[in-house]
Amino acid sequence: MNAIYDVVIIGGGVSGMMAAISLAEKGRKVAVISKGDPVCCFSTGCIDVLADGDDPLKGIGSLPDNHPYHLVGEEAVAHSLELFRGIMSDGGMPYVGEVHANRKVLASLGRCKITCLVPETMAFSAFDPDEYLHVVSFYKMKDFYPQYITSRYANAGYSVFDAQVTTTAGIAEKFENRPFLETFISWLQGLDIPEGRIAIPAVLGRSLAGDVYHEISAGCGRKIFEIPTLPPSMPGLRLFDILKKALLQKGVNLYWGRGIYSVEKLGNQIEAVTLAGAGRATRVEGKAFILASGSFVSGGLHASMDAVTETVFDLPTYLPGGRETWFNDDFFAAGHEIEKAGVRVDSSFRPVDTKIENLYVCGSILAFSEVMKYRCGHGMAIATGVAAAEACGGPV
Amino acid sequence: MEFDFQHCIRCTVCVANCPVFKVDTNFPGPKQSGPDAERFRSDNEASVDRWVQLCSQCKRCDVACPYGVNPAQIILREQTRYGEGHFRPFAYRLFANNYWLGALNSMIAPVVNLMTPRMFVKRVLHLFGISTSIPLPQYRVHSMNRSWRWKGRRRSRKKVVFFYGCFINYNRPDIGRGVRDLLASLGVRVVIPRQVCCGLPALGNGDIATARKFARKNARILAGYIDRGYDVIYTCTSCGLSLTQDYPGILGVPEGKKISENTYNLHEYILKLVEQEYIKPTFEPLHRKVAYHIPCHLRALGIGYPAVRLFEKIPGLEVHILEDNCCGLAGSYGFKKKHEETSARLCADAVRAIKAVGPDILVSDCGACKMQLGYFSGIPAVDPSEIVRESLRNTREGKRAKGDSRL
Ligand SMILES: Cc1cc2nc3c(=O)[nH]c(=O)nc-3n(C[C@H](O)[C@H](O)[C@H](O)COP(=O)(O)OP(=O)(O)OC[C@H]3O[C@@H](n4cnc5c(N)ncnc54)[C@H](O)[C@@H]3O)c2cc1C
Ligand code: SF4
Ligand code: SF4
Ligand code: SF4
Repeated sequence: MNAIYDVVIIGGGVSGMMAAISLAEKGRKVAVISKGDPVCCFSTGCIDVLADGDDPLKGIGSLPDNHPYHLVGEEAVAHSLELFRGIMSDGGMPYVGEVHANRKVLASLGRCKITCLVPETMAFSAFDPDEYLHVVSFYKMKDFYPQYITSRYANAGYSVFDAQVTTTAGIAEKFENRPFLETFISWLQGLDIPEGRIAIPAVLGRSLAGDVYHEISAGCGRKIFEIPTLPPSMPGLRLFDILKKALLQKGVNLYWGRGIYSVEKLGNQIEAVTLAGAGRATRVEGKAFILASGSFVSGGLHASMDAVTETVFDLPTYLPGGRETWFNDDFFAAGHEIEKAGVRVDSSFRPVDTKIENLYVCGSILAFSEVMKYRCGHGMAIATGVAAAEACGGPV
Repeated sequence: MEFDFQHCIRCTVCVANCPVFKVDTNFPGPKQSGPDAERFRSDNEASVDRWVQLCSQCKRCDVACPYGVNPAQIILREQTRYGEGHFRPFAYRLFANNYWLGALNSMIAPVVNLMTPRMFVKRVLHLFGISTSIPLPQYRVHSMNRSWRWKGRRRSRKKVVFFYGCFINYNRPDIGRGVRDLLASLGVRVVIPRQVCCGLPALGNGDIATARKFARKNARILAGYIDRGYDVIYTCTSCGLSLTQDYPGILGVPEGKKISENTYNLHEYILKLVEQEYIKPTFEPLHRKVAYHIPCHLRALGIGYPAVRLFEKIPGLEVHILEDNCCGLAGSYGFKKKHEETSARLCADAVRAIKAVGPDILVSDCGACKMQLGYFSGIPAVDPSEIVRESLRNTREGKRAKGDSRL
């Protein structure tokens, strides 16, 4: 029997989806299997590449030698980010920013977050603190308090709009309906506020956010920007929706909502995986496999008292040392040792110390990625996803 | 399916996927109705969570949750607990028993079809909590129950028993007959035994006893065939979910495991025939632009989208997959007056997504989706099997599959 898929990708996060898209664009037949929705759904939707310094790409040079970015290389990182940008523009949510420059976005607690590429709804988020800033909030909206922001800036004020609903998902849905949008715009126009920018929590629609944003901007003739909220986070969900839609458009087959139940091997090759679930197992066969199952949060890695295991293929993992070395005493300090745990790969993204030949690994499951410490989350996921696809695209 | 509320990390992914939560402010969403509230529930205390009834059981939250919590399963259990302890309004009883309703209506179909659009009938329906914003289904006299009970060579190596479900039975038996003819033309022996409703509507309306009664009856029939080397085939994805998940799961049917392991989605089964090289069909080109609205329960089955993989083999067919929206009808959910607004708003989102594609036809496996979206978009809604059959009808394999087709 012929393998149904050229490549089977396990994990539907940013990394797995980017790998799938770049393989499908080269005409490969691809499947993505995912236990559930990925981490990007509760992210800000902004693409962190490397938070240190002004130019994230230049910063790659000073990362420790074993950081996965080195396997990709500066130029290929830049190229993969542009590929990502193309997909997002086609999907109706262009990303702004320059891959060679970090920028700031205002977060809901009033501080700024350093990131690199941002959705266009946050393009004006980098503001001059002397310029007047007006924050719009929604009546009784959960987890968003404009005072957190206005108290940090001398020249700022806020007003509250009653959307009749209090959840981000509920308000976002309302913005996709014309009468509500028009009422909101005329309310904004009626506000008597100084010249300056207007900040709104990120609830301006989900699938139609681009249109909603432009209509509000045009309607009030000001620079408007969204402030990412706590989850459910619309910008993160939009990112997920658009990548998933691109997968489907390019003919990638999805198997969603099921983890891996068993793995079939023949010699040094993985032949197929079967999906967990009620009843007869669904079997998915491939010539090559890419593991993009994420780190501890997504369950790609599992920590017990004294070991870290990889949950799908039981690959050997790197562990920094005994449990007493895993955590810093200061909980909020960047860089707990345990963040280095993960799967080690060779220069073509194949796991080391195993005989399996047709398996590649990418994303936050990679050892030494230290996503929180370097703040390289989505950027590293995109770059290694595209690079792993490139590495496995040759053989299949 | 296992579920464990203690695995919840409160990431809100399920909430972001819940269609009802997004439009109905009275519904606290899957996280709060599921794992959060579960901590305070006890088998020794009566259920008081009236709002669990607002969940449509679309199961989008189960599919989305990365931590295996399965909020919809937790809510379903509470819905049945609530149903057992409380008076169930007329509409709930009616839809729980939609099988008998269907049987009765199809006996007197011409009269029923004439009556339901009338104004005074609508008033009566409203009085009983039934929505009329979309026409109630039209019933057919020649339901599957009365139609030809087998097709294909008796000695064929591939044998299936077809579980057609209520929608095909009473409303669109032509789809059912098409499936039968298609399978027979592919060299498969098809039998269509007498059967009853899968039980999902009863379960969804809080009547687990009726659901169990239906399930036991079907299970005995189907298991008898499985023992004689037959596989079970379904096309309605909600029936499929019920057979494979609820029979061995919440309904605890003795033959549940056997059924769940031997039951296939029609397109999954055809793909298997192709992959095993039992058939080598030549798909004829179909020059059409298709919007495929993925039913929530196809997603919940976790088998991927098998019909899409068949569509990929049809030259000229342009397929746009739309999987982010629930049609809002959710079986009998949208037929209830109190869910009318929720249903209408969800439907509007789904129709907008379909219209954005600008398709010639709309495809969905689910009868409710076809009714709701076909009606509100004004675009002809067909079953995926009708497309597959159309493409195969002039080939060697398909030449016996000719017959009526709405394409
Ligand atoms: C709360 C939070 C906020 C963040 N915010 C940002 C941000 O704003 N900007 C930024 O750049 N980065 C952010 N990050 C980091 C960034 O989100 C991640 O590093 C990156 O998205 C990881 O992508 P991934 O594809 O490697 O893995 P994941 O997104 O973790 O995806 C892994 C996928 O694999 C699936 N999976 C796991 N095990 C199995 C299995 N056995 N079988 C099948 N499927 C399986 C999971 O369900 C999941 O869908 C944030 C991280 C967190 C935790
Ligand atoms: S049930 Fe699952 S998806 Fe919902 S909040 Fe809990 S862990 Fe997240
Ligand atoms: S089953 Fe559907 S309606 Fe019910 S809580 Fe889950 S997502 Fe919401
Ligand atoms: S009718 Fe279809 S779309 Fe609507 S809830 Fe059921 S499966 Fe989902």
